[in-house]
Amino acid sequence: MSASLATTTPPRSDTPTLPGESATVSPFPVKVQIRNVGFHYGKFQALKNVSLPLYDRHVTAFIGPSGCGKSTLLRILNRIYELYPNQTASGEVLVDGIDILAPGLDLNLVRSKIGMVFQKPTPFPMSIHDNIAFGIKLYERLPKSELDDRVEQALRRAALWDEVKDKLRQSGLGLSGGQQQRLCIARAIAVEPEILLLDEPASALDPISTQRIEELIAELKSDYCIAIVTHNMQQAARSSDYTAFMYLGELVEFDETERIFTHPREKRTEDYITGRFG
Amino acid sequence: MAAEHIIKSYDDELSRLNNMIVEMGGLAESQLAAAIEAVAKRDSELAARVVEGDAKVDELERELDNLAIRLLALRQPMARDLREIFAALKIGSDLERICDYAANVAKRSIALAQTPPIQPVHALPRMGALALRLVKDVIDAFIERDADKALDVWRRDEELDEMYSSLFREFLTYMMEDPRNIGACTHLLFMAKNIERIGDHATNIAENLYYLVHGKALTEARPKGDKSSLEVVAADRSGAR
Repeated sequence: MSASLATTTPPRSDTPTLPGESATVSPFPVKVQIRNVGFHYGKFQALKNVSLPLYDRHVTAFIGPSGCGKSTLLRILNRIYELYPNQTASGEVLVDGIDILAPGLDLNLVRSKIGMVFQKPTPFPMSIHDNIAFGIKLYERLPKSELDDRVEQALRRAALWDEVKDKLRQSGLGLSGGQQQRLCIARAIAVEPEILLLDEPASALDPISTQRIEELIAELKSDYCIAIVTHNMQQAARSSDYTAFMYLGELVEFDETERIFTHPREKRTEDYITGRFG
Repeated sequence: MAAEHIIKSYDDELSRLNNMIVEMGGLAESQLAAAIEAVAKRDSELAARVVEGDAKVDELERELDNLAIRLLALRQPMARDLREIFAALKIGSDLERICDYAANVAKRSIALAQTPPIQPVHALPRMGALALRLVKDVIDAFIERDADKALDVWRRDEELDEMYSSLFREFLTYMMEDPRNIGACTHLLFMAKNIERIGDHATNIAENLYYLVHGKALTEARPKGDKSSLEVVAADRSGAR
């Protein structure tokens, strides 16, 4: 068992040799560099020395069995864990070169750059319009017409506008599950983030809604760096460019999705994805 | 045509797979046509170009296999999508073999062109043209996903097999009449066999297309017209039976 990928055996062909370092193989810029990140819930160590890059304009999926630390890692990326006592992170998370785990950083700014969508759709108990406007108003003071434009843009981008344009004053809670989730995505992108974190965004949704969300992710990635946590391996295979397999708080393997699902380097990865685990 | 997938990139990849088969099919047709022409015209330069051209088809088949594996791993294809990918893999392999046989025919024609022309050579381009029509028709059937057209090709292979049987006898006769013909006739025998195999691969493609469209295998017994394996040639008699 290796604590970091720098000690694994050399890769088979032309894959990145040290995923913890900046990409020498991918031509795309690294938006987020996760470096030696550790995490504790009280005394329990949930993450051990995790290092990997998140490429801009690409989707990176995190897979692994329950309790492997993937959701924990996601919550570190926008420091949402700090809402809870007794939770501590170590290491560095460099976003465009700046360590967002460093003390003294304006947390609200971090969270506006990095949007998050959760597993269970969480629309505010407000109108559809106000759901979107709420976040914008936190950061910006805009005249009403410009605010309305921004709301419309966000809803269009989230492929929801056509379905709700005639009922913007109705409560967000009246939408279907799939629509609520797209509302949450619209809400996240309304504040113009650069990075989107999606924690099991479709696990509460039916197959058709799931596919709509996946198609939306495929469209959105041209503008954002997207990280998605999913317990559904097939979803990771379908919708991501890179996949990180985690187990017991460690990053076991990180590579292009096609490579992970056709010939992974690590036996543990192969065992997990072929259903031979346990 | 069926409705599109919700995830557009899936449709794009299936299209790409289809287009690769169509491209390979086009190459199979042109390679075979050129090989036949090289035989008929004793054109060794054309023959050499056919032989060189085979590498491109091999490369295409590798790309096709990679794309199919990728689709199987990443898309969890079901029902017709799954049959499409499965059929593409098998048909790609058949098309690659057809091109191999065409290249083999072309290669032998070079040796043949260096010996004086003999009468039985004329039969070969006729057999080649029949095989070429089978290949063209089965590729058209694939493009249109037309199982009935496929079934038609599947049945017409019998005619090709019968032609092979009669060529087999004709070549044997020629060899027995004059041992100086043995060299040329042996090449011709192999070339005829190659063309007969091309017909068999065309019927394989037809069978896979049938499965793709109907979801079940073609179970009719295919009519087989090749009786050459049952031929007995007595040593002290010349002439056909």
